Formats: sequence, C-alpha cells, structure tokens
Amino acid sequence: MAKSYGWAGKVLQVDLANEVVKKVPTADYRPEEFIGGVGLNAKIFWDLGCPKVDAFDPGNPLIISAGPLTGIYGPFSRGEVCAISPQCHPDELFTYSGFGGMFPAEMKYAGYDGIVILGKAEKPVYLSIHDGDVEIKDADDLWGVETFEAQRVLMNDEPEASILVIGPAGERLSRVAVILNETKFAAGQGGFGAVMGSKNLKAVAVRGTGVVAVAKPDRILELTRTIIEENKKVVPMVRLLFRTPYMAPQETKVIFARKYFKKHYGCYGCPQQCCSIHDIPGIGLSGASCADWVWAPRFSIEPKEIWEANLLCQRLGINIYELIGIAFLLTLSLEAGILTMKEIEEDIGLPAPKWLGGTATNHEFLTVLLHKIANGEVPYAEGTARFTEHFRKKLVYGERLADLYKEVYTARGYAFHHLDNLGSALHWATDTRDPVNSSHEYKLNSPKAMEHFGLPPYDSYQIVDLSKTVYEGAERVTAWVQDNQCLKNSLPVCEFWALITSFYKPPEMDLRIFESMLFSAVTGLDMDVDRIARAGERIWNLRRAIMVKRENRTREGDTLNEPYFKKAITCLAGTATGLVSGPIDKGKFEALKDRYYELRGWDANTGWPTRAKLEELGLKDVADGLASIGRLP
Amino acid sequence: MQVVHKSRVLSHNPNVCAGCGVCEVMCSLYHEGVLGPALARSHVVRHPFTAEHGHNICRQCFSPGCYFACPLKDKAICIDGTTGATYIDEDECTGCGICIDACPFDPPRIKINAEKNVAFKCDLCRGREGGPICVEYCPFQALKFVSKDEGQ
Repeated sequence: MAKSYGWAGKVLQVDLANEVVKKVPTADYRPEEFIGGVGLNAKIFWDLGCPKVDAFDPGNPLIISAGPLTGIYGPFSRGEVCAISPQCHPDELFTYSGFGGMFPAEMKYAGYDGIVILGKAEKPVYLSIHDGDVEIKDADDLWGVETFEAQRVLMNDEPEASILVIGPAGERLSRVAVILNETKFAAGQGGFGAVMGSKNLKAVAVRGTGVVAVAKPDRILELTRTIIEENKKVVPMVRLLFRTPYMAPQETKVIFARKYFKKHYGCYGCPQQCCSIHDIPGIGLSGASCADWVWAPRFSIEPKEIWEANLLCQRLGINIYELIGIAFLLTLSLEAGILTMKEIEEDIGLPAPKWLGGTATNHEFLTVLLHKIANGEVPYAEGTARFTEHFRKKLVYGERLADLYKEVYTARGYAFHHLDNLGSALHWATDTRDPVNSSHEYKLNSPKAMEHFGLPPYDSYQIVDLSKTVYEGAERVTAWVQDNQCLKNSLPVCEFWALITSFYKPPEMDLRIFESMLFSAVTGLDMDVDRIARAGERIWNLRRAIMVKRENRTREGDTLNEPYFKKAITCLAGTATGLVSGPIDKGKFEALKDRYYELRGWDANTGWPTRAKLEELGLKDVADGLASIGRLP
Repeated sequence: MQVVHKSRVLSHNPNVCAGCGVCEVMCSLYHEGVLGPALARSHVVRHPFTAEHGHNICRQCFSPGCYFACPLKDKAICIDGTTGATYIDEDECTGCGICIDACPFDPPRIKINAEKNVAFKCDLCRGREGGPICVEYCPFQALKFVSKDEGQ
C-alpha cells in the first residue's frame, strides 16, 4: 500500500471482556470514502453488523474517532463518539456526539484514527495507551472519583497524557452523563458517559509521541494563511461573546469579565480558543463556552451560583445542556399551573427554589438535583424524557406533565433549541438526535446555500411568522446541511467556528472548496468540491441505512413531537429565548418529506434508500445488506 | 567566530498562553513537514487544571554549552550571525547526542530525530521571512521575538 498521509493509519479495537487488543489498518474501512469521525464510526458500526442491543449491553460498541484534518492548524482538533445512545427516547438509537480538546490530536500522535471499545470489563478499569503500548489497567481506586481529580491522578503516572473520563454520573448509568476531556470538553448529547460506565471503563488515557505525515506541507502552510486572515474577522466577536454568560444581565457579565476571567482556552492547534477559563475563589477554576452558559440566566444570574452549578456538572460528569431539561420543565409546569410548589417538594422530591417562588436557594435546588443525577437515582438520572414518563403513571397530573414535556422536547429525547426554520425541522425529523451542531449552519450558512441553489431567501423558511413560510425548496436546504454536517463531523471541522461561512465567496468560490483543498493537501488524494460533497452524502446515506437496518426506521418515524404541528411553541431553552416555532402544517410537512425523499433518491413510501442511490455512492455492500433483510425498496 | 550583532530570543508570557499548541503545530509542520509535537522545537507544558502553562524552548544561551560541546563545532552546530541563534546543520550532524548532555536545561531543549538520526533545536526559523513561525501564529502574542536583554 502506498504511504498514507493525514490518517494515523490504525484503528484500535479493545475487547474489555476478553482483554484482547487489536490494531486494524484504517485502510480496511475505506477512509478515502468515509473520511473519519462520524463517517468512519458509521462504517465501523455497519461492519460490526449494526448490533440490535440495548445501550447498556456489553455488545454496544463505543467508537471514538478523529479525522484526517485533526492536528493541523485551525478548528480541526475534534473527535466524534458514536454508540447506541441511552439518552434517545423512546428507542435507544445509534447516534453521535462531538467533542473538542486535546484528546483527538493526542490519539493520532499515538498512532490511532479511532478507538473501538467492545464488551464489559469485570471490574472498573481504565485504558492506558502510550503509542503502541495498550494496557487495560485496574481503576478500582478511581471509581467514584470526580472527573478533574481522576484526570489529575492519572496524570501523576503520565503527566502529558490526554484523558477521556467519566464522572460518578456515568458510572451510575445516568442517561445524561458525558465523556469529558480536561475541564470542559465533553461529548455531551447522547449520554455516552453512561455507555462507558456500563462497560466499567472509567477513563481512556492516551499519550502519543509520534507524528502524522501530511502530503503537501507547503500547500498546507499556504492554506493556513487563509485561515489566519479569515480568523481575524470572527475571533474578537466570538471570544468576547462567550467570555461571560452571554444571555445574563450586564451586571453579571461584567462581574465575570472583570473579576473572574483568567484567560482563553480551546482545542489543540486552533487559533480561535473560543472557551474561557474563570476562577472563582472558593469554587474553583474551569473552562466554559456557549453551552455552559445557556441555562444560567433563566435560573440564576448570581455569578457564584452559575459557576458552582457548572463545576458540579463538569465534575460529576453531567450534560450541562440537561440543566435546561428537568429544571426547565418544572419551571414551565409551575407557570402553566400543572404543578404547585408543594407538589414539587412532596411528589417530585426536590426543594422548590427561589426562582420558582420557593424557599430553597437556587444553589440548594441545583445541588440536590445534580447529586440525584450523579447518584443514578431514578427517575432524575434518566433524562427528562424518562423522568416525565416515570411521573406520567404515578401522579394524577402526570399526563399533563408528559404533554408539556413534548413541547419542551422536540423529538427523540432532545430539548427544543434552534428550531426556527423548516430546514432544521426536517433535519430534526430525519435524524437520530437534535441537530444542534448544525444549528449555526441553518442561520449562517444555509442562506448562502439557498442563494447558491437559486432558492428563495432564508426568511422564507422561518417558522416564526407562518404567514410568510414557504415550504417548497426547504428539502434542498435540509439535504445540503445534512451532507455538510456529515462532512464536517468527519474531516472534522468545528461547527462552532462557522468556518465555511467566512470562506464562502459566491459565485466564484463554491461551498466546501476550502475543505476540499485542505483535504487534498493533507491526504494527497485528489479531492474536488463535487467529490467531497458526495462523501458527505455517502455518510448520510450510510447513517440512514443503519437507522433502517437497526432501528426499523421508516417514513412514519421521520417526525417531531406532536405539539409542534398543533401550536406555536416558544423556545425557552436558554439561548433562543423568544424563539417561536410553528405550528408546522402537517400536510405541507408530509409533502415536504415527499420531495425530500425524492431529492435523496429514497423511496417515498418507506423512506428507505434505494439500490440505485446506494450504488451510485459506492455503497453496494450496504444495498446488499438491506436487501438481505428485506428493507430495500 | 562571527560577531553577533542582534542577539534575539523567544520569550513566553504564561499569563496569556492558552496552551493551545498552535506553536507546536506550526513548528513541526514548517520544519519537518509533519504534524506532531514530538518533532516540534516549541513545547507547551500544559496544566489544564491550573491553566498555568509552561513553555520549553531553547533559550539561545549567551554562552551555548551545546555549541562548545559539539565535536563538529561550527559545522554541525553553528551560530547565526543575524539573530545569534544556535542552529544545527542536519547535513553535518551525526546524531551523537553530546550537545543534548551539554544543554543546561531540564528537559534539554535539543532532541534527536530518530528517523533522520540528527539532533534538532529551535533556530528561530533561520532564514524565514517574517521571523519565527510560532510567534507569527500565536493567537495571544504569548510568544514574542525579543532581544536577549528583554527576554531574560
């Protein structure tokens, strides 16, 4: 085989039950077609036969990958975790979650493009990787230890290791547990921390002292000039915005900026460094960025309370995004008169905090709730979907609580945010989780895509003022963003930096041109815009095939929770306060789905990919696989 | 020995360094055409839980022990007349490692490239238009290219 550039060259496969470690050539997974990240993960999962097991079954493969661009200068040092997700509701679906930080690049320097973890260890272990040396080590002493301390202990042995770790929440199988790197880099959505916990795997510590070869270093240096130039346009804005709880009142922001801000922080090799480090005496030092702040203004504007809850989430290994879950649902249920303060205290079992008009401090409320989650206490640790499901049967007003949940949560157990556009609604309907890591794309990039396709302007697809909404053409926007998302999560490129936005200069520069040039320079493979776009489409089709094969996904499943078709819903999930969605016209939405399937080359009756489309994308084996179980139209 | 006119050095400001590793990435790419801190002259010592990051790089000593220790002085290790940087000529270096033992810093600021069997160290991007690449790309100006007096 010719020398490989960009990829580290191997995928590590670890069977925790039998303590067997294998190193599989990345080339076996056709990385020139599936690239890395979610693409590589989906290919690995497909090759494993898309196991129809529960999220906590030892047979659920936990797959962690970087991509060919990981490690170069720019917003590329991201990893993607894929597995069957315990957070998805009602069914546990194969889904993904990205994370930044130092781990993905370090993993590549150790020689691995990805790590596949199978089976369940008999007792707590951690995975120690030092270049080619891979060991499954005893983690008895680390079990129950919070995430920061566990990393510090592991760094005593290997000071420069980069570590993925779970907190008590993951160990106790909370469905909203994260996998954390350092203080704030987390694979959050999906609840994958609990998948690690179910495998008795406390941490993955990696130290890499190798290098990754690239095909055309001079060309990469030339292209990084573009990054540095474009970077100047966005850095000041983003860094300033996320330096403080950006939705909070000015006084709160000023206190954070003046008193507690220490320095900026971010992923390896990225000039953006969009996170910030704050240090509040008596509480501690940690990092924060967009998601760490979104919940805050709704529940507390006290800097110390915000910071204390953030640190608790990070140390216990809880998805901070879910602070807008249960706490949020309770707020709304009070406002809607479904629950009273007394009922929250007596039936739900939580102290009623001040913001609900109760007597407990917000700190007391959040501490009790977060510790219940970290202790794996049912139903608090189960995520908001299962939490309401629990009370639906138990409480007289449980049915109304469950109805309210469906308003707060758009689909599949993920909370309403960034749904102001038909394109994103269709995306949400056809995915396995919330498309939060494309949400900025709908706002920032898709307007340019629409122009590119000759479609009506962006505002035509908004679902805020329904009198203006145009349904025709929205399928193009969705398909474009989905393919682009697959591509971004595979190369990988950070969504947050909205890189492509700044590089898109119509009409002479097509979308994705910069990524295709960078990919070519790094890997030495000749990649043009059409082919790189096709790779995105290929990955989306493979993900769809996994949905069809493993999860019996059909057209009926491509939908949102019922309230979104019935009434206008105000998104109160933090950032998008005031954002209103719908009601979406059900009939027009079904017609939109028809056009979407047609555009995708899928069967409109079943929503299944066709053989023609799959073969066109080089996925003949996938078509054969679906045909063998009778799910090829 | 040449007369040194403008003796320069890299200085690191830990108060603003984000520990991002951009200096390592650009250094290994520019000098070795690969990705990886292992072959970077610039080395960030990250401390994620205190955010006090250190930085190990050649201090370009006034009296460079490595230079005087080198059996091929002025061939394998030389001093740049413009910046005062001690640099290694890969074509002449035999990879004997004596210079590494002579480095007064811990860890030594000279390392061995095992594949090429030569020593490598920071040469302040000798000959590069625009000066050291790490300084140019550092997102926070934590690295500065200063005179030796300023850098102490």
